[in-house]
Amino acid sequence: MLRPWFSLSDPIWQDFDRLNREMERIFNENYFSPTVSSSQRVAIPAVNIGETADKIYIYLFAPGLDPKDLDLTIEKNMLTISAGRDTSKELEEDKKVTGYYRKERFSGRFRRVIALPEGLDTSSIDAKYSNGILAVTINKKEEEQTKKIEVKVS
Amino acid sequence: MADVKGTEMAVKEERVPVQEQKTRPVVVTPPVDIYELEDGVVLFADMPGVPKDKIDVEVDKNVLTIRGEIGQVVPKDITPLYVEFNGKAYERAFTLGPDVDVSKIEASMNAGVLKIFLPKSEEVKPKKIEVKVE
Repeated sequence: MLRPWFSLSDPIWQDFDRLNREMERIFNENYFSPTVSSSQRVAIPAVNIGETADKIYIYLFAPGLDPKDLDLTIEKNMLTISAGRDTSKELEEDKKVTGYYRKERFSGRFRRVIALPEGLDTSSIDAKYSNGILAVTINKKEEEQTKKIEVKVS
Repeated sequence: MADVKGTEMAVKEERVPVQEQKTRPVVVTPPVDIYELEDGVVLFADMPGVPKDKIDVEVDKNVLTIRGEIGQVVPKDITPLYVEFNGKAYERAFTLGPDVDVSKIEASMNAGVLKIFLPKSEEVKPKKIEVKVE
C-alpha cells in the first residue's frame, strides 16, 4: 500500500482508511472504492428525461468525453447512446505517475438504450454536448403537442 | 423533482425507488481520481453540468475544497419524467499534506471534468545528486 504524503492524518480519513483496509483484507483486493461517493451513482452515466408541451429532453451526465466519439442512433422508438473515455489518457504523456490515492471515476465504454414514448418526430432530433452533459431534444409530433385552448367570452 | 408522472416510458433497468431519490441531498460528492506524480499531485473530479464560471477551488490552511454549481441546463417549463440524477451542486474537500506548494496550485475545467495540479514544494522534490568520481 502506498504511503501518502498527501495527509490522511485527519481522523475521519483514518476511519475510512481503516474500513477500507478491512474490506481489502476481506475481499483480498481493492473491491470497494474508499469513499461513499461512488455509491451515489445509480448507473453510469446517469440519465434524466423531461418534457415540455412540444418537446422531449434527454440529459446524459457524461463528463470528459470527446464529442466526436459520441454515437447516437435511433431505431423505431429506441434511442441508443454510446461513447467512452479512457481516464488513463487524461494526463500528459511526459508525466510519470508514481502512485494514486483515489480511483473512483468511470473509465471505459458505455451504452445506454432509452425507450422513447410514442408520438415523437424522430427526424427532428437535436443533440448538444456542453459542460459534460449531452442534451438530446426531440420534437413531439404536431398532433401530440399540448395545446392551449382559448376560452372566448361572449 | 422526481415526478412519477409518465411512467409509461418504461426503461427496463433496476432503479432506486423514486421515494429514495427524493430524500437525497442535492449536493453531490463528485467522484475523483488522484494521482501522485514526481513533481506533484493531480486531481480529476467529474462535475458534469458545471460551467467554468461556477467552479470554486479554495485552499484554506491545508484543506482543499472544490465546489461547483450546475448551471441552467433545463428549460424552465420542463416536467421531469424520469430522474436518476438530481444534484444541484457538487462539493468535496481534501486535506493536503505539508509538502504542497499552495501558491502554485493550478485548476482547469473541461467538459465537466475539473483538473487540479498541486505541485510539490521545491524542498521536497526528488533531487538527483551527482556522485563525483575522483
